[in-house]
Amino acid sequence: MGALELRGVTKSFGSTEVIKGVDLSVKDGEFCVFVGPSGCGKSTLLRMIAGLEDATGGDILVDGKRMNDVAPAKRELAMVFQSYALYPHLTVRDNMGLALKQAGVAKSEIKVATDRAAAMLGLEPLMGRRPAELSGGQRQRVAIGRAIVRTPKLFLFDEPLSNLDAALRVATRIEIAKLHRELKATMVYVTHDQVEAMTLADRIVVLRAGRVEQVGSPMELYNDPANTFVAGFIGSPQMNFLDAASLGLPAGKVGIRPEHLTISRDQGEIPAEVSHVEKLGGETLVYARNPQHGLLTVRLFGEHDFEVSEKVHLTLQRERMFQFDPDGQRRR
Amino acid sequence: MASRKPVRWHIAVFLAPAVLVYTALMIIPLFGTLAQSLMNKDATGERVFVGLQNFARLFGDAIWSDAFWNALANNTWFFVIHMLVQNPIGIALAAILSTPKLRMAAFYRTAIFIPTILSFVIVGFVWKLILSPIWGIAPGMLDAVGLKFLFAPWLGREETALTTLALVSVWQFVGIPMMLIYAALLSIPDEVIEAAEMDGITGWSQFWKIKLPLILPSIGIISILTFVGNFNAFDLIYVAQGALAGPDFSTDILGTFLYRTFFGFQLQLGDPYMGSAIAGSMFGIILVGVCIYLFGIQTRLRRYQF
Ligand SMILES: Nc1ncnc2c1ncn2[C@@H]1O[C@H](COP(=O)(O)OP(=O)(O)OP(=O)(O)O)[C@@H](O)[C@H]1O
Ligand SMILES: [Mg+2]
Repeated sequence: MGALELRGVTKSFGSTEVIKGVDLSVKDGEFCVFVGPSGCGKSTLLRMIAGLEDATGGDILVDGKRMNDVAPAKRELAMVFQSYALYPHLTVRDNMGLALKQAGVAKSEIKVATDRAAAMLGLEPLMGRRPAELSGGQRQRVAIGRAIVRTPKLFLFDEPLSNLDAALRVATRIEIAKLHRELKATMVYVTHDQVEAMTLADRIVVLRAGRVEQVGSPMELYNDPANTFVAGFIGSPQMNFLDAASLGLPAGKVGIRPEHLTISRDQGEIPAEVSHVEKLGGETLVYARNPQHGLLTVRLFGEHDFEVSEKVHLTLQRERMFQFDPDGQRRR
Repeated sequence: MASRKPVRWHIAVFLAPAVLVYTALMIIPLFGTLAQSLMNKDATGERVFVGLQNFARLFGDAIWSDAFWNALANNTWFFVIHMLVQNPIGIALAAILSTPKLRMAAFYRTAIFIPTILSFVIVGFVWKLILSPIWGIAPGMLDAVGLKFLFAPWLGREETALTTLALVSVWQFVGIPMMLIYAALLSIPDEVIEAAEMDGITGWSQFWKIKLPLILPSIGIISILTFVGNFNAFDLIYVAQGALAGPDFSTDILGTFLYRTFFGFQLQLGDPYMGSAIAGSMFGIILVGVCIYLFGIQTRLRRYQF
């Protein structure tokens, strides 16, 4: 229960069109992540699904029912906000139970539901506190708990981890993944962090300027990007783009991921000069400059010693390389 | 090497102007008045210390105490009307103004706030003209809608005069609670309201369950401002009914009582010593009220950070 379908959804604020026709279907139980650069319309799309923003055009369907004119609360979905948006005057327990109380659910049932959610998220010792007495990570867990309690058809997350520090972000990410496995609920998750997208998603929707660029599983997007935008957006460090003509290929661009370039001191296709080296312990990133192709990133596993301004040679693993036509579309 | 903190002269220098002005204009007159309330003239017209005699007269001598309790009771009623009418209306107006669907909100906001910046002289005089049974427009307007029978010379009747004036004051000052509550409502983050929408808490229940608890601290501040303002009130009554606060002292509040006593009015001679005693009593009443608020209420109101 909880399949989502968008058909030609558009949104304009005044005369500026922010969402320019999005078609998408999310299967029941799927974890779908929207990624894209800032301002591309991820939040707007999510808010339209939630009913906080009216769609200018198109249809939004949940389980086959058109939801465009249904009030947010009646859509049976729950949203977790970036700023947590907890009710400051209520305790953790009341924050989580308020929706059920409003719906007229019996007190004993509310207690069962909130206790269950609290147990899932490890919130039991905090039930009597107010949001101001919680840390950021705890607040975010309460916000997630508030969503769970309502047993919605669909969970919506708008950048829920972006206010947390790096370690907590990883921990909460794992918790959300676990939650998804336990609840088997459909989740739509917005982020601009592509690591979050890759690790959580069953399917990623890459958005750019109000349009869907590509939809696919994380590995599909990694191994088979449709265009230079998706290729550059997915994968970190970013894919290298080289001029195709100078490599003896049809005009356009050639994309190669940093892990698919090999570096050698004595021989190779592309001569370059090391301009910076980042040693991360498990891996080493070498930034090398070639006058024709600009700065290229090479990712090496393990520790390697390269000096700045050392002369090196780079080689492309041909079978790993992507060719794009001059418009940026993948050449197949 | 122990480095001693240098004397921070700049703190004293920056504080001095405010402290000096405040002392000259507030502290000295306040203590002067309090001191004067403990003095009186002896037979030769000399100023002598009489202890609490003035207060004993004020509360014990029927001539004084009847007038004092009358003024205090009227003043309390004046305050009750403000609390029951002005503040709820102010909150309701703010709630209406903060709904995003309302058009011309800025116009309404300004229109409702304008009476607050009018002089009380204008307000008192205008309402006297409006309500006058002889040349006022209220009878005519009620007549036009067939409700003339409802009209009464409200300002001229003992039973209604005080309430009428309190409502005029409400009309004048309702913009202040409205603005304060409006600001408090705007400071509630959109996402909290949106979360409430998602939880199915909409309309009135959203106001009662989410917004009202979050603006309670502002309501507390408004209450104490109303209290202080009302127990210091004078001007509107004076303009509308004169220092005798007629009819038959039915609109007499502490401010007008103080004025008559201190400066004298018509046949009554001014008595600065008894006047100071009344002023001291007013100060005490307000001090007690403010302390109850500060220590009894405000500490219980949580301020919410979002
Ligand atoms: N209420 C609004 N009125 C006008 N324009 C808006 C409004 N809300 C959003 N926009 C515009 O719509 C576009 C998409 O905004 P949106 O918030 O969906 O971006 P986003 O993808 O969530 O970005 P971010 O990653 O920074 O959160 C932006 O260009 C923004 O300026
Ligand atoms: Mg956003």
